[in-house]
Amino acid sequence: MLEIEGLTRRFGDTTAVDDVSFEVREGMLTGFVGGNGAGKTTTMRMVMGVLGIDAGEVRWAGRPVTPQDQRRFGYMPEERGLYPKQRVLDQLVYLARLRGMADASAREAAERHLERFGLADRATERLQALSLGNQQRVQIVAALLHGPTALVLDEPFSGLDPVAVDAMADVLREHAAAGVPVLFSSHQLDLVERLCDRLVILAAGRVVAVGDADELRARGPLRYRVVLDADTGWLRDVRGVHVVDVDGPTALVEVVDDGAEQVVLREAAARGTVREFTPVRPALADIYREVAAR
Amino acid sequence: MSSTTTTPDRTGAPGPATADGGSARSAWALVARREIVVRLTDKAFLGGTAFTLVLICGYLGWQVWDSSRTDSYTVAVTAADRSMGDRLVQGAPESGQDVEVALDPVADADAARAAVRAGDADAWLHPGEGGWVLTTLDSEEDTLAGVTREVVRSTVLEQQATRLGTTATALEQGTTVTPQLLEGDAEQAQIARAGSFVFAFLFYIATLTFGYVIANSVVEEKQSRIVEIIATAIPVRQLLAGKVVGTSVIAILQMLLYAAVGLVGLSFTPYSDVLGAVSGPVAWFLAFFVGGFVALAALWAVAGALASRAEDVQSTGTPLIMIVLGVFFAGFLVDGPARVVLSFVPPFSTVVMPARVLEGTATWWQAVLALVLLLAAAGLVLYVAERLYRRSLLQTGGRLSIRQAWSTPE
Repeated sequence: MLEIEGLTRRFGDTTAVDDVSFEVREGMLTGFVGGNGAGKTTTMRMVMGVLGIDAGEVRWAGRPVTPQDQRRFGYMPEERGLYPKQRVLDQLVYLARLRGMADASAREAAERHLERFGLADRATERLQALSLGNQQRVQIVAALLHGPTALVLDEPFSGLDPVAVDAMADVLREHAAAGVPVLFSSHQLDLVERLCDRLVILAAGRVVAVGDADELRARGPLRYRVVLDADTGWLRDVRGVHVVDVDGPTALVEVVDDGAEQVVLREAAARGTVREFTPVRPALADIYREVAAR
Repeated sequence: MSSTTTTPDRTGAPGPATADGGSARSAWALVARREIVVRLTDKAFLGGTAFTLVLICGYLGWQVWDSSRTDSYTVAVTAADRSMGDRLVQGAPESGQDVEVALDPVADADAARAAVRAGDADAWLHPGEGGWVLTTLDSEEDTLAGVTREVVRSTVLEQQATRLGTTATALEQGTTVTPQLLEGDAEQAQIARAGSFVFAFLFYIATLTFGYVIANSVVEEKQSRIVEIIATAIPVRQLLAGKVVGTSVIAILQMLLYAAVGLVGLSFTPYSDVLGAVSGPVAWFLAFFVGGFVALAALWAVAGALASRAEDVQSTGTPLIMIVLGVFFAGFLVDGPARVVLSFVPPFSTVVMPARVLEGTATWWQAVLALVLLLAAAGLVLYVAERLYRRSLLQTGGRLSIRQAWSTPE
């Protein structure tokens, strides 16, 4: 398990990351969400040891993380980069060897991963001869090649076509299933919602919410969609609810006092036919906007 | 692409790497190996090396050809001056200048002038006021003039000696002046001057070209951002060490190749006797080259790390170009006590001390002391460079000053 405890990093007068704590558990996909400048990249760089820490600690397997631990992590920096003029297979082998793999097994693993990402026939080409999407795939391979003990991926889905997104998602799930803690950041909230077991929401350098998708939704406002035969204007007079929207026979109400939705339901039934009475699950995007704005 | 065609343990394969190929401590060897392989497969580098070798061979070949060829001249003489002309024909091959002279007998002065104008003769030899005149068309024929001067001088001298009832040898007795040096000898000094210039030049070329090579290889990693991945895999110190070692190996191999080809070529030229005098101090040259080059290579790596884009290297590398130029010119411009002092001061000692060893003006312990000082300075430079490199390598927001890089937090 990767534990981030009270991480803080200042750049001059601004505090980019402010007392950030969360866990990346084994076997779980943890999504790291936040707007531009929220501190995701800074946090990930501190976790990987390429940026100094002003306060706090990164812990791995219950003790402070060491460079030897970080060496075995798989990392994809926000700004992609490999050697443009070197051949794909050669530089993958080189990077794997830097992480301690033997030549033969590095070569074998590189070929295997290239095959998986449909790049087996491009192995001997120079990186710059590949399309940007394919370069991105090589970048993913570079992060996975050495059989990482943890994955820290900054925006791994950006720049991928839908097929590659699926492949990437499969890869992440497989690693999680094999017991590897996976932390990745993304702007694509629908993707995060679909994939992640846990979410960490960051805003202005602080953690504003942690939990699985359902837990986070539970933090959102409880709303009901009411569809009647007649006009729903009367809902405005019901105590304990807040009417978000009214459009003829359709209304969206937010429950302010616990149990007030039952009052609404009884009243509606008394007035005529109730066509629809459904709890509205807030989209993760809404939750995100809500907590990020707070 | 599809993950359904392959099983997870054959494809995604999470889990530990199958074999441990080495610790982070020996990572510099991997980095050095990559630097060497990249350079050896770089067409521009190979092409440049081949071109330089062609130049060296071409120059030496020209020397060999030039020394073996004989210049032939045709000299116009009138019947009256025929005897002096014959002496010239006889005397030319003995002059040691590889000159051959043929005569073009002409009727009179006008015919002689016409022959020179028409190019039938290279010169016209005739008596003038108080001596002889060698008339040529529009440029002086130095070699011919020299030989002629010699032949005319000895011929006339002999004639006058006979007239005085003595011999030319007797007349010339005691007139020779032989230069002699208290320290070393003339030939040695000349060889030393040439040798140290060649060495200073090689050092200059190597530190400049490979300086840019190493700076660009650092900035390439920075610009392409791969350095962030590498920095999570190995300590930045290892990366710097690998780059410096790899580039130094390539630079030294290239210089050895040039030197070997040059020395072998030299043995075919008339200067082959120089070889014996140079071969001893070559070991000193090599030792000083390694020390000086490593220190400068580390600084060039810093120049690369201070830049964010390849274009920035032009400005971050400027102080280094000054140092390299200073070392180059110190090698043969500085004289006297200043030269003795500089021969101990890094980085100038890199070229000045081996030159003094070659001249025979430095003792072995002075050379050892200078080398120790140079290596100590190289060590200090590596220490400073490592800190600057480490702190500036991951800063990608534009060009850094040395002060910023030194004090920037990690």
